[in-house]
Amino acid sequence: MPEPVSNITVQMPRAKRAGLLLFFLGPAVAIYSLFSIYPLLATMALSTYTSDPSGARSFVGLANFETLLGDALWSKPFWNALRNNLIFFAVHMCVQNPIGIALAGLLSLPGVRLKGFYRTVMFLPTMLSVVIVGFSWNLILSPLWGVAAGALKAVGLGSLFAPWLGLESSALVTLSLISVWQFVGIPLMLIYAALLNIPEELIDAARVDGLGQFRIFFHIKLPLVLPTISLVSVLTFVANFNAFDLIYSVKGALAGPNFTTDILGTFFYRTFFGNQLQLGNPTMGAAVATVMFFIILLGLCLYLFLVQRRIRRYAF
Amino acid sequence: MANLRIEQLNKRYGATTVLNNVNLSIEDGEFVVLVGPSGCGKSTLLRMIAGLDGASGGDIHIAGKLVNALAPAERGIAMVFQSYALYPHMNVRKNMTFGLKFTGVPPTERERRVAEAARMLRLEELLERYPRDLSGGQRQRVAIGRAIVREPAVFLFDEPLSNLDAALRVSTRVEIANLHRLLKSTIVYVTHDQVEAMTLADRIVVMNKGRIEQVGKPLDLYYEPANLFVAGFIGSPAMNFFEAEVEGIEGGRARVAGTAFRNLDIPAGSLKVGDALTVGVRPEHLVRGEAGFFAAEGVVELVERLGEASFAYLRRVDGRMFVAEVRGRQTPAPGETMTLVAASPDVHVFDASGLRVAT
Repeated sequence: MPEPVSNITVQMPRAKRAGLLLFFLGPAVAIYSLFSIYPLLATMALSTYTSDPSGARSFVGLANFETLLGDALWSKPFWNALRNNLIFFAVHMCVQNPIGIALAGLLSLPGVRLKGFYRTVMFLPTMLSVVIVGFSWNLILSPLWGVAAGALKAVGLGSLFAPWLGLESSALVTLSLISVWQFVGIPLMLIYAALLNIPEELIDAARVDGLGQFRIFFHIKLPLVLPTISLVSVLTFVANFNAFDLIYSVKGALAGPNFTTDILGTFFYRTFFGNQLQLGNPTMGAAVATVMFFIILLGLCLYLFLVQRRIRRYAF
Repeated sequence: MANLRIEQLNKRYGATTVLNNVNLSIEDGEFVVLVGPSGCGKSTLLRMIAGLDGASGGDIHIAGKLVNALAPAERGIAMVFQSYALYPHMNVRKNMTFGLKFTGVPPTERERRVAEAARMLRLEELLERYPRDLSGGQRQRVAIGRAIVREPAVFLFDEPLSNLDAALRVSTRVEIANLHRLLKSTIVYVTHDQVEAMTLADRIVVMNKGRIEQVGKPLDLYYEPANLFVAGFIGSPAMNFFEAEVEGIEGGRARVAGTAFRNLDIPAGSLKVGDALTVGVRPEHLVRGEAGFFAAEGVVELVERLGEASFAYLRRVDGRMFVAEVRGRQTPAPGETMTLVAASPDVHVFDASGLRVAT
């Protein structure tokens, strides 16, 4: 048996071991610190300052957060954005991930032809630029020149058409579904890969036990890919609370109509950079960014402590 | 009544033929082992009996019923897989009852069967454990238990011992033999290990390139192989082969000559002068001597000592090697020239097409 690596490194001279550590870990630590940790800390630091019209900054402690959560002028749009963001996330969890799982299940069935073709087609939107996706759907759904109205009319469902992106009641859900359409390839691919990992003999054993493909999926495959599904959920959560580009490209920074599609990303953008009559406010923007960071951190902690620890990975 | 009848079974994938007109009849309660080199089609045949793979042609009857169109669960079979294929997210008890739930066995009956199988396989202590907490041998027993509770007409085993270490393989082999004695059920067992085949089988089916080469009792295959392939496949080390030719025929006897052994005298039968033959002798049937029915000479190059016997590797006159088993403490030394002889029942002659010729 080969010697365990830990023993080899333990026996090394101290200087050599330090050199080795530096060589292997140094580049990653340097890049990660420079581009991730430093900006994060700098943002947090910035959120504790305020600037006067002359541009001079002064330390104000947590006053920015007090304003953000206490002052109705700030807190109303903030809670609105957070609520919209939760809806955005809920739509992804309830639509994107179940569809991704179902498509992966179908693709992993024995005897499906053109698997590679379907896989590519379903993953294609994920590779498109969000700007192109947003612009295309804006055109498709446009009541003036979009094809959606005509297409619905052609199948006799013309009365169902509405300018979904323009209605306060449906704009957010419509945008969420556009995002679902674009990114359904990611849960599909991850879960498909996990399904391929399940040994063929296990499925054969289930067939001998009298299960049809449907039951095999629910009783055997699904429980075994649960770890991947939970991973997909976390990725969805993080991506959704960092989302910005789709809303910006379809609705602009004002996230209309009447801020009904405003999520934390767009709210942060307006705060930090300013928009139309609103002046940019970097210190308040940093406060919003910090709150977003803690929301995602909280979500991740809940996941790690409540979900991850109960899920078991199976070695086959 | 759980006999198994296979008629004209074919399996093709595109242009490749995996099974070629396989006919096999297995009696109720018989333990049949399918053996052959990898890629010979034995596993495919087993999977087709199970209903996991479809046939390109031919019929399978289980217990007198044509099962071609039936799903695996409806065929009255149970299968033990090479990797055991236990459900990793279910404990031992659930692994065993899971299939019964879907075939409509009532809960009390399920419990009774599990209890009985657990007793038989010494699994009582393990029923609440998960597969990840079990050793290889225990997993194997659970897999067998899962097959037993189905109370199948036919058990199918697909190389069930190949993932176990050598010691466990021997003890599990004995357990499977005991189980067969106890359950008296029909078993079809696939292996590439001829020791497993010889020790377990009532009858062995030797397969090669999608065909059945020979079906017979273990010792029949060993002492009277029907063809060159079976002769070379059964037995370890493999049988020695010597090229030969019919040199002359006189009075119903054929004189067989080769470069590496002294002339043989066998019944002529339908042999003609000039026919190419192959003469086969097992290493364990060669003994030191001066004259015998068969005699060959060689220079010892290497001796493998196993304890109860040693294998001498000898260079023949024609430059090729052959092996002889030497019993006892006195082993030949490399460089020594030996003459080895064999008695007539232990000498096998095969014709140019590989078929056995009566000696």
